Amino acid sequence: MAVSDIAASDIVETVPSALIILDRNLNITSANRAFYQTFRTSADETEGCLIYDLGNRQWDIPALRTLLESVIPHRASVEGFEVEHDFPTIGRRTMLVNARKIFRPGDHDGFILLAIEDVSEERAARKESKRNWQLTQSIVDTIRDPLVVLENDMTIVTASKAFLTIFGSTEAETHGRRVSELGQHQWDVPALRNLMEKVLPENKPIENFEIEDNFPGLGRRVFNLNARKISQPGNHAHRMLLVFEDITGRKQRERDAQVLQNEIAHRIKNNLQIVVGLIAYEIRATTAVCIPGLKAMQARIGAIAQLYDLLSQSSYGQSVAVDAYLREITKTMSASLLGSQSGIDIAVEVDPLEIDPDRAVPLGLLVNELVTNAIKHAFPDGTGHVVLSAKHIGDEIELTVADDGVGMKDKVVAKVPEKRGTDYVAIFVRQLGGRITTPSSQGLGTTINIRFPLFLVTSGGAEPLAA
Amino acid sequence: MMAVILIVEDDPFIREIAESMIQDWGHRIISASDVPEALIHLRSSQHIDALFTDVYLKADVHGGCDIARQAILLRPLLRVLYTTANCITDQLQSLFVKDTHFLRKPYTEEQLQGSMESLLAA
Repeated sequence: MAVSDIAASDIVETVPSALIILDRNLNITSANRAFYQTFRTSADETEGCLIYDLGNRQWDIPALRTLLESVIPHRASVEGFEVEHDFPTIGRRTMLVNARKIFRPGDHDGFILLAIEDVSEERAARKESKRNWQLTQSIVDTIRDPLVVLENDMTIVTASKAFLTIFGSTEAETHGRRVSELGQHQWDVPALRNLMEKVLPENKPIENFEIEDNFPGLGRRVFNLNARKISQPGNHAHRMLLVFEDITGRKQRERDAQVLQNEIAHRIKNNLQIVVGLIAYEIRATTAVCIPGLKAMQARIGAIAQLYDLLSQSSYGQSVAVDAYLREITKTMSASLLGSQSGIDIAVEVDPLEIDPDRAVPLGLLVNELVTNAIKHAFPDGTGHVVLSAKHIGDEIELTVADDGVGMKDKVVAKVPEKRGTDYVAIFVRQLGGRITTPSSQGLGTTINIRFPLFLVTSGGAEPLAA
Repeated sequence: MMAVILIVEDDPFIREIAESMIQDWGHRIISASDVPEALIHLRSSQHIDALFTDVYLKADVHGGCDIARQAILLRPLLRVLYTTANCITDQLQSLFVKDTHFLRKPYTEEQLQGSMESLLAA
């Protein structure tokens, strides 16, 4: 069947828009099913009726009169004429009216075909959306951090007042532009672009992306960028919220603190160098029997100095990475006590752990004592292995120093360091808030296990115990 | 082997200890406490086998690095051993002349001796 075979009346009855046909006197000659359904009327009540009289004159609408009496007589067709009216039967409605004059052969008066589309819901949704947007914009404008909202294509939909003020821009200069095109292209950073491209498709927020640059009128600034996907309920379109946090002041304070910390660490280590030098003088002048004790003292000072190296690399007051700390200490001990030709090696096996800076000193000194003891006493023939390990077990750290040397004799076991109040090991273990668990000499070698809590908690909070 | 070592250290006590240790091992020493003084020695005609310099010299944060860079231009075969009480970061090491050695402070006599022997044997 060809399209031309379909009767016009079939088409009229099928289309979803309400259709009515008026004669030259504006009487309704016919209407389709959609019209009757939408406006809750019938063919009997409608046909032959003046359109204004229809349904107790509820169609006597000034806007419709304007269309039919002033616009249509002068034009062959009108599209998208909006009429808003409160109908007693169906309530407030917004309608889009398309009108067209139709002439039959030999008929000079013609008819008017009106297609009426009820767009009330769409208009209401649009109004709601506009209200929401205005609300959002007013919230956005109260936020002190500059922020922008981006479309899917990364162009700016809106920029907050704070953004426009801080970056000296106008709405016209930002709207529709990409962030990378703003200012002097300070935000045109490949790493940032890559992250931004993942925010919407992968719902992957950007957290604290730092950019430092010179900004016109602002000088050198550091900004922290955070971005996330925002969605409106019932709307499939997603947008991105990008917030610029000015962290210049904070960053400067951190840098100042770091410089100060490095300066202090530098002075302390120079002073420790003087102490180590003084001991070196003593070593030259003293009897052979005193030399080992003085050299041990130098090694202890070296262990403390390692801590300042690590502290100057981390932020002020932050915890110390146990792994890096113990590795550095053993590296120094290997160099000073063993040298490159030694048959004794020290292996370090440490879990990723951190310790408060206050307990880092006793930990370093404890490791220094235990490893020194192993090196000095376990290997009379000069060959063997020492394993230093620190494991995270529950809420404790287990420190183990094990060697495969000659082991401790019974009488030596009786002198385990913890039992000697003045022994350094016991002091350091106590400072760590820990205990020696298994001084062992079964089988090959010697193993010393020490357990101490990850965090020390006293009534005043987490802090180290007094020695 | 007796060598001539230029020691650059701004702390007089630390410098004196280092001088006496190095002299005890049979080497000859020349001393300086800052960049200009060190450059006077390096620009002179006297023989120098190795430079042992502190990095942080008085107010000059990387003074020792500057000395070493200029020293190598003046004397390409000079051996260089840095020492510092600062943390030896990658950034600091990038300022060191290629194929040189460093020794962390505080160093013991044995550590200085070991570093000096490796330096002179290289």
